Amino acid sequence: MSVSTVTKEQFKSFVAALVNSDQKVVGVQAKDDKFAFGELTDADALRLDYDVTILPPKKYVLPQKETLMNFEVAGAAKTVCPDEKMVLLGVHPYDMVAINQMDELFSQGEYDTHYMNRRDNITIIVCDVVTPSENVFASSMNTATCDSGYDILLTDIGDRFVVEAATEKGEALVKTINGAKEAAAADTDKRKAVQEKNIASLNKHTLECKPSDLPDLLEKAYDHPVWEEKAKLCYSCGSCNQVCPTCYCFDVQDEVNWDLKTGSRCRSWDGCLLSNFATVAGNHNFRENRADRFRHRLYRKGKYVPGKIDGQIACVGCGRCISACTSKIANPVEIYNTLMEKA
Amino acid sequence: MSKPRVAIFDFACCEGCQLQIVNLEEEILNLIDVVDVVEWREAMSEQSHEYDIAIIEGSITREEDAKRLEVIRSRAKILIALGACATMGGLNKLKNNFDDLNEVRECVYGKDGQMPHLNTFKTKACDEVVEVDFKIHGCPIDAAEFAQIIRSLLVGKTPFVPDYPVCVECKANENICRYEYDEVCLGPIIRAGCNAPCPAAGRECFGCRGLVDNPNVEAAQEVMDKYNLTVDDLKQKLVLFNSK
Repeated sequence: MSVSTVTKEQFKSFVAALVNSDQKVVGVQAKDDKFAFGELTDADALRLDYDVTILPPKKYVLPQKETLMNFEVAGAAKTVCPDEKMVLLGVHPYDMVAINQMDELFSQGEYDTHYMNRRDNITIIVCDVVTPSENVFASSMNTATCDSGYDILLTDIGDRFVVEAATEKGEALVKTINGAKEAAAADTDKRKAVQEKNIASLNKHTLECKPSDLPDLLEKAYDHPVWEEKAKLCYSCGSCNQVCPTCYCFDVQDEVNWDLKTGSRCRSWDGCLLSNFATVAGNHNFRENRADRFRHRLYRKGKYVPGKIDGQIACVGCGRCISACTSKIANPVEIYNTLMEKA
Repeated sequence: MSKPRVAIFDFACCEGCQLQIVNLEEEILNLIDVVDVVEWREAMSEQSHEYDIAIIEGSITREEDAKRLEVIRSRAKILIALGACATMGGLNKLKNNFDDLNEVRECVYGKDGQMPHLNTFKTKACDEVVEVDFKIHGCPIDAAEFAQIIRSLLVGKTPFVPDYPVCVECKANENICRYEYDEVCLGPIIRAGCNAPCPAAGRECFGCRGLVDNPNVEAAQEVMDKYNLTVDDLKQKLVLFNSK
């Protein structure tokens, strides 16, 4: 696969052409004084210098709410299969790592057609981080750069972008960039310098152990006082879940139409911090205490999910939960470090 | 099977929640396809004493209203409280913050305050007077949520009403948190289901859907400190819709 360089003007022309084609293009844009992924209708609105988006690009593989099937009451059901193609432009490496993890989770065991169909229809263009966000700790989680999942990797080296095609799909797209030149050694060196800088500096909070140490650390931390201490301030609002690129739990509800004979089955994001997340038949709630739910999220990230995907830690260090938590208690680094102190 | 008979009644309120039902517009035709609306003062002139589902809008502020609600309850199989006034007393409970209701009457109505029809007691939500089967929250209610709850009941399904805070929907919609602007927002303790229109419009949550079942009120002091706000700031926001 090719590695080339393009000027910023050439890249903008490429984006403009994409936007004007019949292809749906999603990219990062300003939203007030923050950033969000949204459908791109103007190449000038694309902001590859963003720090972090309010929600991760997860919303394009697992939307906030989606219809799984349409049914007749006590009759036939028809699965709804998403098939919209899109180019997702400007995903940061830590978010790419999160999508890679979800790809594994949704394809293992019961293959999730809805998720996987969406995923297969997306062309992902990753861009290396230009502006670190206020709470990023990707360096601590080894996610400041990524090496798989994307079709194209883009790195801002100042006056130009280094563009690496990683798949056939990516290669085909790169071929449409007018003026792309084969990257010289000096260009890839510059790219390496950007990535090495990110590996060192996307670290506003420092985890005092290797991510791979977390499952063992948590093994002994179930009754640690930190869970109660932190959860005292927890509103159980699920903001930490909502903004998390690796939280993938959902709730399923049936909705009936006005004819009272047909309806649809919909799934929407759920969150393990919400008070009724673990309520089951008979109205039994097996995680009724705030502290139990608070602990559960940190166990999911550091122990339970890693157990399903070869030890990969399900926290990618984006820092969104730290910013989103009204009570300022969600920082995973602070909690894991506290567990180490008293372990 | 004959269609369930539905009656809609109003008490102390602005009738805006009924108006939200009217605002269903063409969907009203769907509604009357599946139910017989036998009484609805805002939309028709017929009246009836026979109905299966009673929908109550407004809060209860007078002896005669309490009696009327009791009669409605005795006639209905299902009673639904519609909107903040009915579900929790709503804005009308603002007056409950005053000790002397006579003073309130005089302040609001002047010399007419002593007229007999203004002889009100402290505002009550419907469930402080009779048993309420379902609540449709909000000021005003959300027409789409109303429709979904009615359809669920008609097929014998327990309607889904969230017991999680507004933050869930607010975050899902990528609104910027009002606390980032050091504003008091009631979102973390107020029941969702509205889809967070106020934060989307750049305003804090005013709490019109009432508290979640288990709000973390103990957290208030420490959390407000983090934003240089006070518990009083929070309480003042709660007065509007969540007075006792």
